[in-house]
Parts: sequence; structure tokens; C-alpha cells
Amino acid sequence: MRLQMANIFLNGFVFGIVFALFGCGGEKPKVFASLNQTASLMGDLPANPLAWSVITSSASRNDSTMSTLYGNDVASQYARTNPDHKYPNGSALSLVTWTQQEDSRWFGAKIPATVKSVEFVLVSSAAGSPSYSYQKFEGTPLKRSSAEEYRVPADRAAELLSQRGAVLP
Amino acid sequence: MNGFGPGRWKWVALILALGFLGIQFIRPALPNKPVTAELQVPPDVKQILKTSCYNCHSNETRLSWFDKPAPAYWIVSNHVKEGRKHLNFSEIGSLPLAQQQGVLFESISQIELGAMPLPAYERLHPESEITPQQLTVLKNYLNSAVSNRVVTAEEIGSADAEYEKWVHSPSLAKEVSPAPNGIGFLPDYKNWRAISSTERDDNHTMRVILGNDIAVNAIAHNQINPWPDGTAFAKVAWLQQLDGTGAIRTGAFFQVEFMMRDNKKYADTLGWGFARWRGADLKPYGKDATFTGECVGCHIALSKTDYVFTAPIGGQQ
Ligand code: HEC
Repeated sequence: MRLQMANIFLNGFVFGIVFALFGCGGEKPKVFASLNQTASLMGDLPANPLAWSVITSSASRNDSTMSTLYGNDVASQYARTNPDHKYPNGSALSLVTWTQQEDSRWFGAKIPATVKSVEFVLVSSAAGSPSYSYQKFEGTPLKRSSAEEYRVPADRAAELLSQRGAVLP
Repeated sequence: MNGFGPGRWKWVALILALGFLGIQFIRPALPNKPVTAELQVPPDVKQILKTSCYNCHSNETRLSWFDKPAPAYWIVSNHVKEGRKHLNFSEIGSLPLAQQQGVLFESISQIELGAMPLPAYERLHPESEITPQQLTVLKNYLNSAVSNRVVTAEEIGSADAEYEKWVHSPSLAKEVSPAPNGIGFLPDYKNWRAISSTERDDNHTMRVILGNDIAVNAIAHNQINPWPDGTAFAKVAWLQQLDGTGAIRTGAFFQVEFMMRDNKKYADTLGWGFARWRGADLKPYGKDATFTGECVGCHIALSKTDYVFTAPIGGQQ
């Protein structure tokens, strides 16, 4: 009788282990390898800032947005080696702002959801006097919503140019 | 086949049964140590953890009757020992509250990813399953615990000092020591492309995830499962500076960590070479090469995405 019991046990365990290893028990939530397409930049932009280097990043609790400031080679090199904000001729900066979504793969994390705006500042200087052109793109697809030219950067252009580079050792 | 009559079966059964009894004497001890510093959480949260997690993650292990005979006992006791090593709710109460909550944040992700409770364990212990309602209780507790702490003048001061030092000598080709598993530092990561970013309210960091050319090319062709050999990612984290207006800026540099795909070389760690450097002086992370166990411990949950968390932003090309 004991032995029979033991046998039942053993069978139970072998079955249990096999089932545990190979069983068809309910699959858990799935994640797929996929791109975050909603966060990609769609529309007619003068350049693709995602192809540039990171200068810094920021976020807004109140708006639930997150932004990355990108710079072309001239601008990012400058921002990483100069504490002041007198970007040289040929600098291009772009601030991409995304709405946020919860990261389904990590509780407590927020990741980009959709593009809210893309802003550009281009710095050009002729005969030693710099000029700054600012453009902003919004909507889906992204369309230009404002454009300004400055001798002395003001408003959003000044804000973009004043962000300091994040430490990247 | 034919020779296996009912008589033989009896013998086979008897031998198996004796074997089964015999192995019962091989019993590694699984003592319940005293509960020294239990996790501090409200009762409804604790009840869920007790039912679903405490058997493997506390000093209050209660084995079911069917876990007690070997070989099940061997498997379960091993689970418990490993489980306690990773996380022991009976002992983490001595950590600062924020750190205890950090552990719970991580636990929730493990639950949501289906990595915990261990699927094999959960199938045999269905009562350990965490229902969607219970998950909501855990999440609500943690969401209410996230603080909106505004950055202090002191923190700004030390971040400023770090910045000043860096901006005046960013390429001071410092001797950066390799990680304990032999992986050398890749200073060029800062010129890789940003493929996504994350903001973490639980530990107050901002992160940017960068990919090398091979990674970016794989994204452009949507061939990211598996990622090709030579793919490399860097994840940079800075402390957040939250001001009174709800604006968050990057503060002090926290760390940069890497994953490099080489299926042969890094076969033992999911086909990825893991390495991390902490602080602006880039100190290699980990006492010895086993630090990668930590990395694998989290990333292994992402088996469906080639162990990569980030969903890269499309349109890199
Ligand atoms: C506590 C869980 C956890 C541990 C431990 C962990 N990671 Fe990650 N890792 C994450 C998460 C979550 C992300 C997604 C990005 C984010 O939210 O910051 C990530 C992302 C990354 C990325 C960017 C590529 C990707 O998978 O998205 C790299 C590189 C990385 N981790 C390296 C490491 C290294 C190296 C270690 C060990 C020293 C490590 N990680 C340990 C959770 C973890």
C-alpha cells in the first residue's frame, strides 16, 4: 500500500515536472520586438534630428512630455566643450518633444508616445555677425507652425541655445 | 515490448518506488531564519506578497505537501534559496523606504513580464498567481509613493561642479579601466544615435538609449529580432533635477552601461556582453565578472525581444 502511494507520488512528480517544463499552461503577457512607430518623426522636416548627436534631455511633469535636444556635429561638439552658448556658424540644434506613455515593459518608466513638436535653430554668421533662424513643426504629419529670424536669439530660440550639454564622460 | 508482461511492470514499479523512498534521505536543509526586518508596506499590499511571493522570497517559507517529497523538494528548495538570495522580504525592511519601494517597482515589472512568479512554480501553485486586481493594488500603492521632491541647492551645486570639470576637459583621455568581465570602455558611445529615452519617476533618473551604426541599420531594416552580431547599445542615466514648475532637467551623470551582441563570445550571458561604468569618473561596476548575473536577471525576462527592453523609435534612416 505504501509503495503504491509512493508510486503515485512519483508518477505525479514526473508528470508534474514534465508539465512544468513543457506544459501548455496559460502563456503570460507578451511583448514583441517592434519599433516604436508612433514616436517617429513624420512630415516634411528640413533635416532628421534623430541622425544627430544628443546634447541633453528634459521632461515636463505638468505636460507629461519628454524632450531630447540634438545637435549636428558642429553644435554637439561645441556644447560638449564650451560652457557658454555662442554656437558657431553652421550649428544646427533641434528639440524633439514627445508626449509620454507608460512603458509596458517596465513599471514606473515613461517612454516617448507621439511627437508633439520639433523645433530647429540654425546658426549662421556672415562677416562676423551671427543670425539665428528658428522653426517649429507640429501636428501629424508635422507641419511648420512658426518661423522666426533673429539677430539676437529670443524666445524659444534662446531657450534652446541656452540648454547646457548633459555630462557625457 | 512483448517481453514486458504485467509481472515485469511490478518489478519496475517496485524499483522505482524503492528509488523514490531512497532519495527521500537526501534532503538539503531549508531552515526559516528569523524575520529580522520585514518590508514595510500597508496590510493589503503585504497580503498579496505573502500569498504570491513569500514562499520563495522570505524567511516564512511554507512548502505545500506535494513540495515535500524529493525530487520535488530539491527543485523547490533550490528555488527558495535562489529566490531569497535575489530578494528577501523578511530582511529588506532595514533599507530606506525609497529603496524598499524601488524593489517593489522592479517586482511589478517582473510580474507583468510574466517572469515572476516563476511560470513553472506558478503552474504547480496556482494560488500564487497575481490577479489583475491584485496588480492594481500594488501599482496604486507605488504610484502614490512616488515623490515630487524638488532638487536641492546642494544637488544643483555638485552637478554644476561636475559639469564645469567635464566641459573643460571632456576628452581628457582618461584611463578607463575595463569592466570586471574584460569588456573595455567605448568612449565613442556619445556619438551613437539616440534610439529612445526613458524617464523614471521611481528612481528619479532620465535615460537616453543610444545605438551604434549596426543597431541603427538594423532598425532601418526592421531586423531587430534577433539583433545582428556587432549591435551595441549604450544607456546613459542622469539624475533628474525637478524644479518647482514641474520641469525636469538632467543633473549629475549617474552611469553608462552597454550591451554588445556577439552570440559566440557572450553565449553565457544571453548573447550580449554586459558592462557598466558608474559616475563621471567612470568606475567599472561589479566586484568580479559575476556582476553580469544582475544584468541577465532582469534582461532575461525579455526573451521575446532578444533580451532588449527598448522599442527603438522608427525612422532613424
Ligand atoms: C532591475 C532590472 C535591470 C537590471 C538589473 C539591468 N537592467 Fe538593463 N535595462 C533595464 C530596463 C528596464 C531597461 C530599459 C530602459 C530603461 O527603462 O531605462 C534596460 C535597458 C538596458 C540597455 C539598453 C538596451 C535595452 O535593453 O533596452 C542596456 C545597454 C542595459 N540595460 C545594460 C544593462 C547592464 C550592463 C546591466 C548590468 C550591469 C543591466 N542592464 C542590468 C533593466 C535592468
